[in-house]
Order: sequence, then C-alpha cells, then structure tokens
Amino acid sequence: MTKAPRRLALGIRAQLLLVLTVFLAIPWLGYEYVRELERFLRDAQERTLAGTAQAVATALHDRPRLFEVTPAPGQALSTERAPDAVPSSVPRVAPPPPAAPSRSPDIEQIIQGLSRTSARIWVVNRDLDVLARAGSLKGVRTAASADETLPRAWQWLDRELLHPLYSLVLAQPTDDFDEEQGGRILLPAREIDGALSGILTIERRRTPDGKAIIVSAAHPIWVGDQVRGAVIAEETTNAVLAERNRAFERLFSIVLAALLIGSLALTAFASRLSSRIRRLRDEAEAAIDEQGRVRSLVAPSGAGDEIGDLSRSFSSVITRLAQYANHQQNMASRLSHELRTPVAVVRSSLDNLRASSLPDDARVYIDRAQHGLNRLTHILTRMTEATRLEQSLGQEYVGERERFDLAVVVAGCVDGYRVAYPARSIELALTGGEVPVEGAPELVAQMLDKLVANAIEFASGDAPIRVTLTRDGERVNIAVDNEGPPLPAAMAGQLFDSMVSIRSDQGDEPHLGLGLYIVRLIAEFHGGSVAARDRDDGRGVVVVVTLPLSSAAA
Amino acid sequence: MSRRIAIVEDEPAIRANYADALKRLGYEVATYADRKSALAALSTRLPDLALIDIGLADDIDGGFALCRELRALSAGLPIIFLSARDSDFDIVAGLRLGADDYVTKDVSLPHLTARIAALFRRGDLLSAPPSVEDVIERGPLRVDVKRLTAYWTGQRVDLTLTEFWMVHTLAKYPGHVKDRNALMRDANIVVDDSTITSHIKRIRRKFLSVDPAFDCIATVYGMGYRWNAKEA
Repeated sequence: MTKAPRRLALGIRAQLLLVLTVFLAIPWLGYEYVRELERFLRDAQERTLAGTAQAVATALHDRPRLFEVTPAPGQALSTERAPDAVPSSVPRVAPPPPAAPSRSPDIEQIIQGLSRTSARIWVVNRDLDVLARAGSLKGVRTAASADETLPRAWQWLDRELLHPLYSLVLAQPTDDFDEEQGGRILLPAREIDGALSGILTIERRRTPDGKAIIVSAAHPIWVGDQVRGAVIAEETTNAVLAERNRAFERLFSIVLAALLIGSLALTAFASRLSSRIRRLRDEAEAAIDEQGRVRSLVAPSGAGDEIGDLSRSFSSVITRLAQYANHQQNMASRLSHELRTPVAVVRSSLDNLRASSLPDDARVYIDRAQHGLNRLTHILTRMTEATRLEQSLGQEYVGERERFDLAVVVAGCVDGYRVAYPARSIELALTGGEVPVEGAPELVAQMLDKLVANAIEFASGDAPIRVTLTRDGERVNIAVDNEGPPLPAAMAGQLFDSMVSIRSDQGDEPHLGLGLYIVRLIAEFHGGSVAARDRDDGRGVVVVVTLPLSSAAA
Repeated sequence: MSRRIAIVEDEPAIRANYADALKRLGYEVATYADRKSALAALSTRLPDLALIDIGLADDIDGGFALCRELRALSAGLPIIFLSARDSDFDIVAGLRLGADDYVTKDVSLPHLTARIAALFRRGDLLSAPPSVEDVIERGPLRVDVKRLTAYWTGQRVDLTLTEFWMVHTLAKYPGHVKDRNALMRDANIVVDDSTITSHIKRIRRKFLSVDPAFDCIATVYGMGYRWNAKEA
C-alpha cells in the first residue's frame, strides 16, 4: 500500500493543539475585564478622596479663627522644601508628621483624626500657605501576598515564574517614587486653583519621576460665603494598581492552569486516538502484502467508539477478503473435484460403449470422445496440483527437510529436460562445488520443471534456454532465462499468483497460470523468493529463484 | 460360482456403469447408494470384494466408516476405495483403514477391472505354492508377480496394488531409470507427478520399516526413479 503524498502533514495531536489556541482569547477577555475593574476602582478612589476632602473641609467650615495664624514668609507650599521628604525605604505606617512646619496646630489636630493610611491631606489658606498636613502617600502595602491555601508547588511556580512574567507585562505599583522636583514638592496647582475658586476639583497627575500617579481632590473651605482655604486629599493609585494586578494575576494563573491541564488532557487524548488509528493503519497495511494477498487478519477492537467500529469493519473486510482469496485459490481444486464425478460418468459410459458391439465408424467418435476426455482429465489433474502441493507443504514436508546438493539436482533435472524437450537446447552453468540447501529435493525438481516448462513455452528463436546457478554470499540464485517477448509491465506483481496467466494464445496444453505459483510456493517453502524480470539486453525474460544455503554448510 | 462384488456409490450413473462393466466380465454385482443399506445387506452376506466411494451423498466420510465396519466383519475382504478425492490425506486415511487399494474416479474401466482381477488373483494364490517363473529375485527382494506380493529379506512388505506394480516395474530392470509415465502406465493409474512422488515415498517407508538400511529406490532428478541392485 502506498502512502498518500505528504502535503501538510499535521497529526491529530497538532491539529487539536492548533484548535486549542482559540482558548488563548480567554486571557485577553480577562485582561479587558480587569481593565474595566480598574476603571471602576479608580472612580471609587476618586469619590473616596473627594469625600475625605469634603469631610475635612466640613470640619473646618466657618471657623475663621483657624486661619488667623500668619505664616512665616517664604513658607508657601509651592516653594517650600517639603518637610516630610522621606527616605526611600518607607515604614509601613505613615510617619508621624514632623512638628516644626505646622502653622496651625488646631487644624493639624482636626485632620489628624481624619487622616487615612496611604492618603495625605493638606490644608492651605488662600495664600497657599500650608496650614496643616497629615498622612503620607507612601504606605500602601504593594507586595501581593501569596495565597496560603494554594499548593506549595503552585506557590513556588507563582513566585519564581509567573510573578516575574507579570512584572514584565503589568506596571507594578511602587513606593519608590519621588514626587520632589528640585527638592520641592510641587503644588497640585490646578486643584488648588479650582478649590480656591469654590469648586470641588479632582485631578490626577504623574509624579515627576513618572513612577506613580497621584490622585488628588481639593475642596474649598468656606467661612461664610468666602473661600478661606482648601483641603487637598491625595493618594497614589498604588492600591488600585495592586488590586488590579492581583486580580489579573489570579485570573491569568487560573486560565493558564486550565489551559495547561486542558492541553495536557487533549494531548493525551489525541495521542491515544492517533496511536489507535496508527495501530489500525499498521494492522491494515500488514494484513495485505504487495501482491494483494491477505497475510494476517486484523483483530477486531472491543472499543465501543467510532475507531472501534472502524477496526471492526476493517477486520470484517479483511476477513471477507481472505475468504474471497481463499475461495479463489481453492476454486481450481473445488472445480476439479466437482468435475470429477461427471467426468467419471462420461468415462465409464464410454468404456462400456467400447465394450459393446458397435459399427466401426462409431468407434472413431468414441476415440475422439476419449481423446477429449483425456485432455479434460489432464486439465483437472493440473488444476489440483497447486492445492495438493499446498497441502503437502503444510503437512507432509514440514518435518522432512533434508540437506542436499542443489547442483546435483539441477544437473540431473537439466539432463532430463534435454531428453524431454529435444527441440530446444538447454545450457547449464553451475558454480562448481557443492551447493548445500536444506529442504526437499523432489520439490526443487518440481519447481525446476515449472521454470523450464515456462521458459520453453515463451522461448522464441533458436537461442537456448539457460539455467544458471550462482552463489551469492549465504544464498544461491537459480536463474532460468529464455529469449522471447518481455514481461507485460501491468502483471509484474501478480506473475507468481494462483490462476494468473499472461499467455495470449491458447495452445494444446491447458494454461491455468499455476506453474509460477507452484514455483513461488516451493521457493517460499525453502525460505527463498522468486522474481521475474526482463533480460538486460531486453530480448528475453529471466526468472530468478533465490534460496538460502544450508546453514550447516560443510 | 461367480464372484460377488458390492458397489457402494451415491452417483447412479457411475454405479450403473460400473455394475454393467463388471457384470459383463461375469461378476455378480450388488449396488448400494448409501452406507446404511450397504451395511445392512453386506453384514448378512459378505461380498467377495467391495468397491466403496468415500463421500456418500451427505455422508461426507461415509465410505471410511463403512470400510471400518466391513473390515471389522472380515479381515480378508478386499476393499477398494473409489473416490473423486485425490489428496494424499484421503489416500493415506483410506489405506490406514485397511483398504487394499485406492483409485480416483479418473481410472478407466479396464484399469479398474484389472485391479479387481489382480486382487482376486492375489487372494486365490496366496496359499498356493509359488511357481518359479513368476518370481523376480533382486538380491534381498523377491517379487511374486502372480500373488502380487513382495518380500524383503524374506519378510513380506505389505504393498497396495499400485505400490506393488511400481516396485515390480522398477525392480524388473535394475539400474534403468523409469520415468513417471512408465510407472503410471504399469500401475494402471493416471495421476500427477506429486502423487507418484508420494507413492514412492510410501513404498520407501514400507521397505524401511522392514529394513532400516533400505536404499534401493533412487530418485533421478528430472528423470524418474531407479532400482539400485544390491547384492544379497
């Protein structure tokens, strides 16, 4: 069986994995979802900050006394060196505010109570003097803590492999930012402007070093209907970022795990499928050889699925094919067997007829009938020859192999053929020396009979039939060649099959196409093979039987 | 008193033809179509010779069973199997059951009657003293042509008719190669080459069972077989 040309050879496994890439859309969907979540969190953060600013402002409304402290000159927020410039390694809680810069201890006291972790609150007057300040921007715990309920291996994987990967993709919130520029904290000018003109203003801005985003909300402080100052509540987006990252990591990890497990399961499934299919293919290919003969049967699978069905139908097809081939092979034998009885009727009737008193001209017809009957009998005998040989190869000869000299057998046979076919000269070329072969010499003689009879039948011209014996390593070749028409290419593989004949003209002898089949049977019985090819000069055909030499060679 | 031959054959035309031919030769013939009727009739009165087909209609191996039953009734009754089957397996099976000969239905009536006559002659003369001119002696081999019996170093070799005639043909001219056609002609059979081969094998085996050193029948590849003379 020939395999289909390999165009794009994708196995079932590869195809399934290809289909699996569709699921890569899931992380993208997750990413979209997480971004939505982030927007939502930001809105919430802004509202919270606004609320904080409003709450602080509410506490400071209509208390003009609080704003009566005159700030020292040059202490404006916009130019002043930030008093709380904190070293980069930050403690987790907001540092206690340094005592010195507070202009208004009363306000300080009020906002102290309102301050939240991770938020910073300023209170400024209309001159942008910082009246009070509480809290710090740096205090959010950003490190995502590992979930202790997960298995240890997953934790390790998460820590060692996934986290670095996420860090590449996602911006990690960090406290290691620097909001100073030129040694000063810049005033969130627009918010303050907005607030001082009496409007709650929410803005977000990037720190000068770009490492963090600060959201600030400014609320005016009213005394009567005058804006006397503003409350600014600030916070980094770190908390939101951390939340977003955690959500994303979790989602991504779960999807990754699901994909991984899914791929493994699918790969295993596909491997099993393709191995079953491959096994079936191998069995199907092994079942029939190059000549189309059924060599072995496919054992039907017990599986209940489609592949099991396929295996079972393969098995039944092969079995039916084997039955058909068997039927075909035995047809000659059975046909001859069936014909024997009517032939016996005719023969015994003719014999009886001959014994009775008949006119002389009737005897002519009896003789003709007898002649035809003899030919018929001969045909019947030939038809059973192959079957009988198969039977005896299976039973009689199995235990009866002997070691014999092939050269002697071939030489003897060729002598016989010279007597039997006086019209055709037969050349013999031996290797010289003993050619030990294990087997049945009478079968080899029978094989030679067929080979030489075949060669003589196809021989044309006066060229002799050549029988050549050559040793080739551990094997011996018996070649019989004759001058004559070349082999028909279409029949090359079937020449040695039962009931195959390439003769175009029908002569006197019956041609059942069993001769070369018998040659093959005998060659195979001896562990050898037979092949026919056109002669190198193209003017004839040579049939070569290759037999193994006896391993117990002297 | 004429001899009585029983024909057990399911094919009416063949049965009638054989019966006619044997009657013409003066034999008394009884014909049966199946095993049951044959056994019923033959067990009350044994024939002088039985000609049995192996396959009797639906009874595939009916002939074998009948042979066994007849052999149980009489050890000396000559039995010939006549069958369309020509496989070695059937031939060996038939002969093992105690049949004296096995012929396929290819056999012509003259050949068949010759065999029947020979079997009767063998039975008649087995007890009579041998006459010298009918005996061929080749070293340890003694072939009694009249009685159709062969002896090797004084012991009888139990050959069928076919086998006896082959041994006779070979031993008559020691050293001469007899081809398959000659053997078939002399043995009154028409068979293919491989059947001759298996006949020769069986003959060798029978002689070997008498004398393990027997090697007088030589195969001449491509030609036939030859009796190698051996000094006694």
